[in-house]
Amino acid sequence: MSLAAFFCLFALRAQGGSPEDCAPCHRKETARFADAGMTRALQPGGGNRRLQTRLGLYSYEVNGSDYTVSDGTGILKFPLAWTFGQGSTGQTWLYQRDNRWYESRASYYGTLGALDLTIGQQSITPHSLAEAAGRLIPVSEARQCFSCHSTGPLAGIQCERCHGASEAHLSDPAKLPRKLARLTTEEQSDFCGECHRTWAEISLKGPRGIQNVRFQPYRLAGSKCYDATDARIRCTACHDPHAPLETNEANYDARCLACHAQRSTNACPIAKKLCVSCHMPKLDLPGAHKSFTDHRIRIVKANESYPD
Amino acid sequence: MPIFLLIRVLAAVLLLQSDPNEDILKHAIGLQQTGDTDGAIDAYRRYLAARPNSPLALSNLGAAYSRSGRYLDAIPQYKLALKLQPNPAVEMNLGLAYYKSGQTALAAATFERVHKAVPDQLQPTLLLADCWLAMGRNRNVTELLAPLADQRQDDLAIAYLFGTALVRDNQIARGQTIIDRILRNGDSAESRLLLGTAKLSAGEFPEALADLSKAVELNPKLPDVYTYYGQALVRTGDAAGATEAFRKALEANPNDYASNLQLAVLLKDEQKYDEARACLQRALVVRPGELRARYHLATIRLQEGSAEDARAELEAIVKEEPAFTEAHVALATIYYRLKRKPDGDRERAIVQKLNAAAQLKQQQGLNIK
Repeated sequence: MSLAAFFCLFALRAQGGSPEDCAPCHRKETARFADAGMTRALQPGGGNRRLQTRLGLYSYEVNGSDYTVSDGTGILKFPLAWTFGQGSTGQTWLYQRDNRWYESRASYYGTLGALDLTIGQQSITPHSLAEAAGRLIPVSEARQCFSCHSTGPLAGIQCERCHGASEAHLSDPAKLPRKLARLTTEEQSDFCGECHRTWAEISLKGPRGIQNVRFQPYRLAGSKCYDATDARIRCTACHDPHAPLETNEANYDARCLACHAQRSTNACPIAKKLCVSCHMPKLDLPGAHKSFTDHRIRIVKANESYPD
Repeated sequence: MPIFLLIRVLAAVLLLQSDPNEDILKHAIGLQQTGDTDGAIDAYRRYLAARPNSPLALSNLGAAYSRSGRYLDAIPQYKLALKLQPNPAVEMNLGLAYYKSGQTALAAATFERVHKAVPDQLQPTLLLADCWLAMGRNRNVTELLAPLADQRQDDLAIAYLFGTALVRDNQIARGQTIIDRILRNGDSAESRLLLGTAKLSAGEFPEALADLSKAVELNPKLPDVYTYYGQALVRTGDAAGATEAFRKALEANPNDYASNLQLAVLLKDEQKYDEARACLQRALVVRPGELRARYHLATIRLQEGSAEDARAELEAIVKEEPAFTEAHVALATIYYRLKRKPDGDRERAIVQKLNAAAQLKQQQGLNIK
């Protein structure tokens, strides 16, 4: 499929697999999923904010879907085609120039409520206004971006992206989509890791060091308590993919105790609650203006180096 | 590459007697001379049925088979002839038959014997260098061609092979002098190809793509040009363009190891396993036992659900190359799928150890391949 054809799909309406299609029968799941961040992983246009910043020699403005970059003498302006990310962590934009996709050099960061340099572009020094606007992304990378942030022709993660085969199921309810609950721990890590990055992918391609803290399946696999055959440590043991991310740390205690309470009445000599606050520390990812929960579950030692 | 034909016709004709079998041989040689290759093959076979130990008939039959593109039929004839009577010219033809049928390792071994027997002959030397390049034996090529490159500074064929080997062997500075020598002859596909490969080695991918794109434009028939163009496209993220480039490379040379391997990887990503497998099998004919091709074949088996087959092959691979990280990663996945947790854990620990060692080396500024 050509790139043009690939992206033309985004102009089409899905024939099935959106929450609206699935809601008549799966009301509970679709109602909860409507609030999940994954549904807003991709949005058309540039949003409706007006943001400005200066990065080195260049000034940037995002005004709705208008992206303007200036060096004081010249100005470049592009219409923003897609917003990646729901915004709680950050948002980066894609725009087109000469039929090719570019990633904006400025991104919105939720914790700042403002623009800053897009993560991953720290090492790029622009030599022109065009380069200061953004990074040309290879076709394969663009495919990957859309693959994880959309569901075929639908923006964001929708039912079809994980469950698949919704067309067949809609036409014949007896034809059931795949049951993700039946996946083993390892299969689930690989499945979620298609976007959140698997242990195998990061092991082979990196990144190494703190840069991989946001790739949860990889980090989890490095935990001493990770058991690829034990369902109590799989992704969905702690996370409900149909619901917004649980941010109350106390609500994860029961997941830890599902294993640790069986071994000893005193699972931890230090505390009896808020396990993740110590054993899954929040680590700052440089350039992301956010700390990420390190999914490498461990006894954190003082002044330890990042265990990779 | 012209075929080094051996038809020691005139001498043979003079020696022929009026024996009816010898008449058949005479007839066969006549047919071969007039271009009736099929007729000649038939006549040689009849002659050999009566006189199976004739080195002349055997080598001529081999040459006739080669002329028809039947290299696999030619090879046993040449081998029999050589067993009866060693002869560098027949050995050269045997090497060419291996070369043309994609059996690069055997061709290299044969050309090496010819090169040792007749070191002044340029053709076996260049063919040997070409085979070693295809096999990744770049250091051998530089050692083989260094004296020749000094003696024949105007020979662009030598300069090209020598420069390519230097660049691929990461002897970039020495390679650059050869590139300069080629560049003095003006903007050519050869010089662009060499510049492009040097930039690929240096990780300057968009720049490499520009040179290689120009090389393709200047001479799309230049050997290896599409292979490296494809590699630059892969590195700059254009998988579809790379697939097309590798296909073109294989149209020109179906036995190009690198194109077969890399096309297979792209096809595997597209889940076109049958086609990917065929490419890998061809790659393994060129470089028998090569671990990377075997690794990808094993991972295709894994993707197709044959975890046990894949496991056996990957275990064999890591036994041969314990530091093959990708194979350990795949093995870990397989062991977990096979519910062999301790083995999976062990493989993960090996991967972590290998990655940590690689990181340490990187931090120490060492060159890690």
